[in-house]
Amino acid sequence: MDYAKDSLADALAAQYVAGTLRGRAKRRFEGLLSAHPALRHAVRAWQDRLMPLTGVVAPVAPPASVWRGIEQQLWPKAAAAPWWQRLGLWRALSGVAAAAAVALAVLMVNPVVQPPVVVVLQSPGAGGAAAFVASLSGDGRALVTRPLQPVALQADHALELWAVPPQGAPRSLGVISANGTTIVPRGKLDKSLLKGDTAALAVTLEPPGGSPSGAPTGPVLWAGKLTL
Amino acid sequence: MTVTKSDDWPQRSKELGALLARAGLGDRRAFAALYERTSGHLFAVVLRIQRDRALAEELLQDIFVNVWKAAAGFDAAQSQPLTWLTSIARNRAIDSLRRAQAQPRLVSASRDEDDDGPDQTEALADESPGPLDLLSRASDARLLSLCMEGLSAQQRQSVALAFYDGLSHAEVAEHLRQPLGTVKSWVRRGLTTLKTCLERAVHRDEGEAGAPSSSRGSLAGGEA
Repeated sequence: MDYAKDSLADALAAQYVAGTLRGRAKRRFEGLLSAHPALRHAVRAWQDRLMPLTGVVAPVAPPASVWRGIEQQLWPKAAAAPWWQRLGLWRALSGVAAAAAVALAVLMVNPVVQPPVVVVLQSPGAGGAAAFVASLSGDGRALVTRPLQPVALQADHALELWAVPPQGAPRSLGVISANGTTIVPRGKLDKSLLKGDTAALAVTLEPPGGSPSGAPTGPVLWAGKLTL
Repeated sequence: MTVTKSDDWPQRSKELGALLARAGLGDRRAFAALYERTSGHLFAVVLRIQRDRALAEELLQDIFVNVWKAAAGFDAAQSQPLTWLTSIARNRAIDSLRRAQAQPRLVSASRDEDDDGPDQTEALADESPGPLDLLSRASDARLLSLCMEGLSAQQRQSVALAFYDGLSHAEVAEHLRQPLGTVKSWVRRGLTTLKTCLERAVHRDEGEAGAPSSSRGSLAGGEA
């Protein structure tokens, strides 16, 4: 076929845009498009003519999952799902055991009757560095956090500690110090910490005074599984 | 060659041009706004062609992923944004039919039309308007509608079935119970007639601006 011939090119472009060019003929035509400006021109002209016909089709709102899928496909890191709903974070927290041994040594300043539960909070992602330890007394009535090394923090930021349930939104345990020990007020603790209702602890970057909304707003800096 | 078409099409398109341009530069917020503004239209167009809803949703996701990737190459001098987007969407929807072709899609098409049931029952059975309804609504686009009136009834129906519902020649033939060759020539002549009419109107508009020409008013919307 001589695709350069105007009338043939135009007829094919018409069928292509109208949708009746199918299968192999369609693929062959598409293959020719890049090499033949005249074909492209004809296709554009037909699109200009016919596409406004779709203007009368009543819009149908797609479900929200479509946009989430698009975001996930294009920007997997900035995925729309909040971090506490993403499994990857917990999966990535693997090196905890080894780090915990180190942390215990650091923490065993005040030996207590019941051994404390120690949670090592590390940066999300493979091999994330440990930065914080949280120590929960054996009776679940005291929670103390402490950075392994002082954390450089800008004045307009604060660190906030969260109890993350296996499902659902995290619960704030308050703002913690970036360079010293923080004793979490007892009022913020409840039995849930030791009853399996908390899967992990996490620290996020928040505005001074903590998240204004009651839900985490900043990125997760460190997180650790709570293994009882 | 751009003076044709529905009245609000170019207007809607113009608003989208800026968003598309910014998306082409990597502006995600502009892209999100573009999605906000166009996904309903594109989903509806896709859904008429690919009636499997789950598949249509997948397609729409694919379409927008491609739009993001191709946005930088969009040439506003060559195409209207809405035309460009709709073309991409239709093309993907039609491609998706190839794989699913084994399954019967058009329930109403296979219905025996010699039955007593009048056509209206078919229209009632399906809430969405038929392709011919759509074509007559497209009549609001003055020029396009004037030109559509130049098509024979069969030509109009064939073009509408193919264009709105993504029916192949063979499916249109089956639907209308006509020989394939006949249907092919209806579609071909219908499109040719449409093109000739649109071009003549544009030329006339360029030549003698404002020539009154029909009961629906002037062509090509040059003058208010």
